[in-house]
Amino acid sequence: MKAFATALLVCVAACGQGRAIFNVDVYSFLQGTGRDTFPYVIPPSLSTTVNTVQKVSLPPGFGSSGVDSVRITSGNVTLVNDSGAGSIGISVYFAGDSAGTYSAPAALTISPTAVSGADTVAVPISGDISAVVDSLFNQSVLWVRIEATGQNSSLTQTAGGTGILTALMIRVVLQDKVF
Amino acid sequence: MRTGVVALALVLLVLAPVRAAHAQFSFDARRFGMGGVSLGRDGNVSRFNPAYRAVKKRSTPNGAPRISIPIPIGLVDFLKQHPLGRLRYDPMFNPDSAGFNPIALMNLITSPPIFYDVKKPPAPTNDVEFTIGKNAFVMDLGEAQVLIPEQEFGLGTTSRVLDIAGPGIAGFHFGVMWFLHYDIGLTLDDSLRRVLKDADSVRANSIYSIRADALGQSGIAPTISYSGRITHGAGGADSSDDGFYLGGAVHYYLGAGYARGQGPAGFVTGTPVFVTTPTPLLDDTVWTSNKAFATGFGGDVGVAWISGPFEVGFGINDIGATLSWSDTKIQRFHYFSVGDSLSTELVANHVPTKTKLPITYVANSAIRMGTGTTVGGDVVNSGRGTVIHVGVEQRYTVFAIRGGVSRDQRKHMQFGFGGGLRFGGLGLDIGFWTHSPALSEKRAMTMATSISIY
Repeated sequence: MKAFATALLVCVAACGQGRAIFNVDVYSFLQGTGRDTFPYVIPPSLSTTVNTVQKVSLPPGFGSSGVDSVRITSGNVTLVNDSGAGSIGISVYFAGDSAGTYSAPAALTISPTAVSGADTVAVPISGDISAVVDSLFNQSVLWVRIEATGQNSSLTQTAGGTGILTALMIRVVLQDKVF
Repeated sequence: MRTGVVALALVLLVLAPVRAAHAQFSFDARRFGMGGVSLGRDGNVSRFNPAYRAVKKRSTPNGAPRISIPIPIGLVDFLKQHPLGRLRYDPMFNPDSAGFNPIALMNLITSPPIFYDVKKPPAPTNDVEFTIGKNAFVMDLGEAQVLIPEQEFGLGTTSRVLDIAGPGIAGFHFGVMWFLHYDIGLTLDDSLRRVLKDADSVRANSIYSIRADALGQSGIAPTISYSGRITHGAGGADSSDDGFYLGGAVHYYLGAGYARGQGPAGFVTGTPVFVTTPTPLLDDTVWTSNKAFATGFGGDVGVAWISGPFEVGFGINDIGATLSWSDTKIQRFHYFSVGDSLSTELVANHVPTKTKLPITYVANSAIRMGTGTTVGGDVVNSGRGTVIHVGVEQRYTVFAIRGGVSRDQRKHMQFGFGGGLRFGGLGLDIGFWTHSPALSEKRAMTMATSISIY
């Protein structure tokens, strides 16, 4: 990857005061691994949490960069509810290692989305996460955890279904000093 | 790290297509105003055409000045913007500054700020955007894509560091010259070019490389040359320069040393692209001379014809210049991913090889009309691409207006215009000249001012 990095840095160097913008397709790292889907089963009157964790490789050279902004520009989870009713909230966490994603504050929290019966609901995920995670982009490896928290308000019926991640693109804007 | 990368970037950028710099490095504003054409009988003409060595050095052939002294308005402006006492902190020279732009620095190196830049050379400062996925890596360089060369790029020239004519008789001279030839050519392979220029994604299991071919050689050449005036005008030999001139030289080249390297350098991607580590690719062959005194013959030929206001010449150098090296070592440098090692393999040693000096030439023509008009042009190839200049000057009493066009080594059209005042032996000239510095397709414009002494 050093050859990539060198070519990349030379290219950035050639662009003077321009910014370097990185669009990191996190979803591509999850796609096809099984970690892009999270089945949920929520017993009556209870809540449950499911997680999916993924390592993401970043280009080297971010180390001395000044991060202008980090934003989830394009993200989507499709909730395919099979039965029951409830609500599913989604949170996204970032950390430098896998375990750290469980202690890190949520970078982005999406308000619970109601599901009922056999239903398919798209939940868009987007927002500015600069304040929470900018320093993490100083590393060449990033871990992301997506947490879905389901709440079943029914007293009798179990809610069940599958959440399917279909997109998650993070846009990182760096100041010129990439290296 | 940043300084190193910037240095690498500068080297790559400087190696990129080299523009025709003849006019830019001239101190004569007249030449700027005439699109780079030189009406004098020095410089390229006498360097490449041995016949011109027999033409008398008159003070004002075709109205050319004896001396041109530049008025460095550009230098004053440059020092105003970049005070000497603060160069250390100047973003232009400080790679650690966020405002540092290697393209701007290279523009400065290749276009010294002697003259005033009316339109500054473009230095892209756009955003660059990278898209990274498990199996994708896209680099959108935006406007900076123009910096990526389409074809082979590099630099090279054949120069005669010293060319001593020595003593002679009846037009014949015995002398010696010290020649130096280098040529560095780099070519991006199609896939790497698509990645950098068309923002195509890096693909899995693919090769991305730059192919290099570099040669450097130097030596001396004892020379027998002839330059003479074969015919002269009706008024006799001393009445004018009119006549037909012939020149030639035979060189016995004695090579002092040479080295050549050839092969690709790059990497091979794995699957997926951004999870696996690419494998470096290096498989180059290097030739080096073990012993000096390669031998070879070559020659120069030139003709010039001057008839009143008309003058035409053609000179060609290093015809058939092939050097035979009797003792050469050939080595192969190969990178093996297994063991992460670089191996050096001796392919052959003490074997004969041959190198060539490229043929270089100049063709020039000028005509002075009775109406105060002078038209001139030249075609020059100094070893890496042809440069064409055509220009015209019209004089009205003490005033002169000038214009010209040229095609540079990158085959870009450039334009010049200007004017001047002349009072007796003293003149003041101004010339405007477009050029495409750095690697940009866009033109910059420079205003040159000079004082001419006739």
